[in-house]
Amino acid sequence: MLNVQNLNIYYGRKQVIKEATFQIQPGEIVGLIGPNGAGKTTIMKTLLGLTKFTGTITFNHQQITANSHQALQQVGALIENPAVYPFLSGRENLELYSRDTTDMNQLIDRFGMGTYIDEPAKSYSIGMKQKLGIALALLNKPEFVILDEPMNGLDIEATILVRQIIHEYAAQGTAFLISSHVLSELQKVMTSVIILNHHEIVMNVPIDQFKNAPVTQYQIKTVDNEAVAKILKGNDVFYRHQDQSLFINTTDIDQVQAILCHHQIMLRELVPVRQTFEQAIVEVLKEKRVDE
Amino acid sequence: MNSEIRQELYKLNHRHLPWLVIIPLVILMIIIGLAMGRTYSNLLVMTCYDSSTIIWLLLVIVGSTIFSMEFQNGTIIPLMYHSSSRLAVFFAKVLVLLMYNVFLHMIAMVITILLNIFPLINDLISWTAIYQYYQPLWLNMLATTGVDLITSSMIISLICLTSCLINSNMTVIALNALIIFMGSGLSSSLQLARVGSRNLIRWNPFNMLNLTNQYYNYAAYHPASLLSNGQLLLGTVMYTVIFVLLGYGCFQHKHF
Repeated sequence: MLNVQNLNIYYGRKQVIKEATFQIQPGEIVGLIGPNGAGKTTIMKTLLGLTKFTGTITFNHQQITANSHQALQQVGALIENPAVYPFLSGRENLELYSRDTTDMNQLIDRFGMGTYIDEPAKSYSIGMKQKLGIALALLNKPEFVILDEPMNGLDIEATILVRQIIHEYAAQGTAFLISSHVLSELQKVMTSVIILNHHEIVMNVPIDQFKNAPVTQYQIKTVDNEAVAKILKGNDVFYRHQDQSLFINTTDIDQVQAILCHHQIMLRELVPVRQTFEQAIVEVLKEKRVDE
Repeated sequence: MNSEIRQELYKLNHRHLPWLVIIPLVILMIIIGLAMGRTYSNLLVMTCYDSSTIIWLLLVIVGSTIFSMEFQNGTIIPLMYHSSSRLAVFFAKVLVLLMYNVFLHMIAMVITILLNIFPLINDLISWTAIYQYYQPLWLNMLATTGVDLITSSMIISLICLTSCLINSNMTVIALNALIIFMGSGLSSSLQLARVGSRNLIRWNPFNMLNLTNQYYNYAAYHPASLLSNGQLLLGTVMYTVIFVLLGYGCFQHKHF
């Protein structure tokens, strides 16, 4: 569906994206992650034909360039802030680009905007504008949607609703490219992740790679943690005491269980601790910095 | 480009400002009529109550926001990717401003006709009486309006160029208002300053702002412009094309 090959973007003489290559298939939800200034928004704008670049971008085998946007008729986007005309009502903002009134009315209902959609957009709160901005991106049943920080300004109910809607559209074949600093939220929707650092793609993998992260430690709770701590110290086993639990290295867990059995101390909890998604991302970004 | 033009017309139609500016247009035309109606009835009809400068200023006020509102609201992004090209976005805006220009001139003509059907502020005139250029007055009015459409098109091209160069619409309004009110004087000053060959200086763009005035008052304006009506017309069209192309060049290279 979307094929990006050797994408290079320059602002003047400064190279802001280096040799980016990736593909997005129908129904995929790709998270675009990176620190501030890494070039996430620049990539998104370039996919929309708003920036000059070298390399090739094709959507459904049609080329996208800064001067040719024919391929973008089936693309929707929300970049930076909701693109809303304040002097128009929410409905009029949608009507401006709508090609199907039924689809537009369904979106108004699905986003729960019926009570205020005919009021001028200048009177909307940040969250209301954000929902309208996402609805604008989903107008005309697009095949590919780009969302830059879609959860900005949304309350918890709206966040859950947007997540559900993204899943619904993806199930029907719409592909998404989403950037967000709220990694926990992004993790709940995306199927693969592209990590961008210092203007280049440093990782492009399915999200399952992070879900099956190896166990790094075990968290144990016993009937007498204080006594266990003393015994482990006596046996030269490394541990960390935190929140009424003991954290043991993976390599020591068999020895610890044998020690507890020997001293007849009963276990109450034994939980494998995996690296969180956020920790994994931070580690990837750190590794890249060390490499440099 | 049809969908781009449709979208621009939709936005223009839903804004209050383009409609509200008709009120000051009517008021100012009536004021000019009250001030000069009894003395210069025919001239006022020919010039649609000297509405050209008012229309230029209203075009500056409405037109300067046509680009800046897109940058300020971030709407330039969907506008760009929904359109077939940057060219379509830019020229749709230029075309809609030209259409709005025609609309304002038509309003000015309708008000002129109404003010002469009910001659409350001036003497009753004969529409078929021969006035300037051996033409009847109604044709004088149509021709002056046609000439002013060309001059105001140059103002529109200037608005588009400055709007693409400067993001602040207040600066664009101030700059273009200055050009409208001081351009003609600036052209005369340039010619008097003898900074170069007069034959060359008289083709400066500010001089082209004299086109409408010279058309209905040749004796007063030709000594200042030093160009014939035909030359002014040619210069105005030439500068309109140059400013539009420069504006498109700026728009083409703008980062969003």
